[in-house]
Amino acid sequence: MKKKILSLFVISLVSCSQASKVIESKVFCFDTYISTSLYEGNKDNILELEKSFTYYSKISDNYNDNDLVNVYKINRSNEEITVSSELYDLLKTSFDVKNHGAKYFNPLCGSLANKWKESLKSKHILDENIKNEEILKINSSSLDFKENNIIQRNGEAEIDLGGIAKGYALDKAKDYLKSQNIKSYLVNGGSSSLLLGEKKNKDGLFSIGISDLDNKYIKAKNCFVSTSATSLQGVKIGDITYSHIINPFDGSAINLYDAVIVISNNGALGDALSTSMMFSSIDEIKQIEKDEDVKVLVIKDNEIKYKNESIEVFSR
Amino acid sequence: MNKKTLRNDLILILSLITVAAVSLALVLSLRKTNNLIAKISVQNNVVETIDLSKKEEHDYFIKGLNGELHVHTKDGAIAIVESNCPHQDCVKMGYVHETNKPIICAYNAVYIAIEGASNVDVEI
Repeated sequence: MKKKILSLFVISLVSCSQASKVIESKVFCFDTYISTSLYEGNKDNILELEKSFTYYSKISDNYNDNDLVNVYKINRSNEEITVSSELYDLLKTSFDVKNHGAKYFNPLCGSLANKWKESLKSKHILDENIKNEEILKINSSSLDFKENNIIQRNGEAEIDLGGIAKGYALDKAKDYLKSQNIKSYLVNGGSSSLLLGEKKNKDGLFSIGISDLDNKYIKAKNCFVSTSATSLQGVKIGDITYSHIINPFDGSAINLYDAVIVISNNGALGDALSTSMMFSSIDEIKQIEKDEDVKVLVIKDNEIKYKNESIEVFSR
Repeated sequence: MNKKTLRNDLILILSLITVAAVSLALVLSLRKTNNLIAKISVQNNVVETIDLSKKEEHDYFIKGLNGELHVHTKDGAIAIVESNCPHQDCVKMGYVHETNKPIICAYNAVYIAIEGASNVDVEI
């Protein structure tokens, strides 16, 4: 009997130590750090994910040139360019999301967004003439998708995939983790894009603290959580907060809300929707929720302006 | 089974229960102490570890990838108060005391993570 009791004790201790096993990594890409925690799998899985994040960061980079055919190169040419199948698909996805409710997301806003950033850095509102010039550029530009991964940029507007590339890379990470039969993980793409598997606890739910709501958190698992917020990159001039999120129709940098959180099954769409919904009415948001099977939480002045009825908000 | 064996078994069971109870109490008390540690990394290398639970006011000057950052601690929280980065996102974050809410200065490849007890897995 003694042996049995001791064996049970040892087994329970071993089980406890195995439950706490976690492999973590932090890789600098997409202009932030992507933190990955795998509660299953091995170091090779982490390395594979790091490689993938770095690759997508490089091909979507519109600020720096690198050894790959990337957005920076596309923005400096009106010639036909052969790109990788990955970049071709990423670009295609970024233009297709407007057909899935992200009507205020336009990847051709790169130059306008940069002009706003420069202006806000010196605490100035972007000059109306410059804004109108940029809107004209956006409306008269396009990207043609041809056969054999060939694309051609028309016009002067610059492509910026900042609002979608991270979510897209997380989609690829999810596919990889599924192929490796890894179910328990948390990938944090600089807080604005999360990929959640199942936590190793009773209900599998992760707790997600919300910065824009004091001492509140939500729970989620097996989904993407995409956040757009003015709190970090917003600049207050007078009583108005100007954001890095730009309305592609009128060039305005004034958002309707402080934060929009989208819970979805698609990282790229979730990221694009959270950006676009900063300009959408609540009725529009409700319609998109129905059409695209997403759940949305909208925050304004530290209060919940709208939340999908299935989202539960807890106090800490 | 004689009386002696039965008594020894009971002693063993009680001892194991005591060990388990003490371990549990230890784990719970450690969680409650809320020992917050800030780790400052530059290009993934930890260059400074700060015990925030001391609540000391202190200045740190961290050499980042493209310049020096002024990091300040007070009241158990940490902030980047000066940086040469173009967008100043890291400075705008202000004082942070929450775990799972890193301060990132992408321009200087600086990452400040706060470790310790938390009831959330991640902050957004």
